[in-house]
Amino acid sequence: MQINDSSGSQLHSEINVTPLVDVVLVLLIIFMVVVPLLLQGYDANIARTSANPVPAQSEETQLILSIVPSACRILEPPVGDGLPADCRVTLADREIPAADLPASVAQILGDLPAEKRVLFLAADNRLNYEGVLRIVDLAKANIDDLTIEFITTD
Amino acid sequence: MRLGETRDLQAVINVTPLVDVVLVLLIIFMVMAPQLSKGPDVTLPNTTKPRDQGDERSRILVTIDEAGGLWIDDQSFPADQFEEGLRAAAGDAPDPKVVIRGDARLRLGEVRQAMLAIEQAGFHGVGLIAKRIGAKDQGD
Repeated sequence: MQINDSSGSQLHSEINVTPLVDVVLVLLIIFMVVVPLLLQGYDANIARTSANPVPAQSEETQLILSIVPSACRILEPPVGDGLPADCRVTLADREIPAADLPASVAQILGDLPAEKRVLFLAADNRLNYEGVLRIVDLAKANIDDLTIEFITTD
Repeated sequence: MRLGETRDLQAVINVTPLVDVVLVLLIIFMVMAPQLSKGPDVTLPNTTKPRDQGDERSRILVTIDEAGGLWIDDQSFPADQFEEGLRAAAGDAPDPKVVIRGDARLRLGEVRQAMLAIEQAGFHGVGLIAKRIGAKDQGD
């Protein structure tokens, strides 16, 4: 079938919409796929100290990260993309700058089997949620399968 | 131009209505895409490298708004009915997973309360949803 079959030498002044339709259909498909937005975030558990006492023998291998507002001022959402430069946290009883967390956590837990890579987080309730998540992000930076346990006393 | 003026049959498919429909669908999706996320709008915390938490359709979506109010999917729940709501949302799904979309301005204590309630309702572990720094609201 040729377009000019019946109309002889008449010029067809219609716009060829086929490429337009192609482009629009592809865009439509892209949007339909993107819409069920994928979630991103961090797995976290609650570790309850009173209801579920931890056996004494495992205590020495527990890695506890403490965050207190006096050492890391994140009572308000942190300004910019990171944490305050002077933010310090306590990892296994040693106070270190938050920026050293990726290396320190990897050094302590890096050689352990995956199920023992657990970080207990003792964070003050007054701290800002976003700030705490950024510290969690730092702790997980070098160990992807790190389990985060929020210590909660009740 | 009236019909029948020309006797030539045009064997070309008229794509104009198709284009119309597709364009409208496209516009609808473009407008809806940022709002399709279930639950109220919250400012998600920005972090460097949040990990994949799966598709939100397969999760029970708990939102904590700026004021500390609790939502399950699109419905607001008072704190004392929250656990029942969670169990109802889980239904018969095997091993349902709960994710928390908490506002970045919340204090940790409020998120912790919700985590405790979720734990008490019988769900183990939650996903704390964050947004990658620099990612746009629409897709990534």
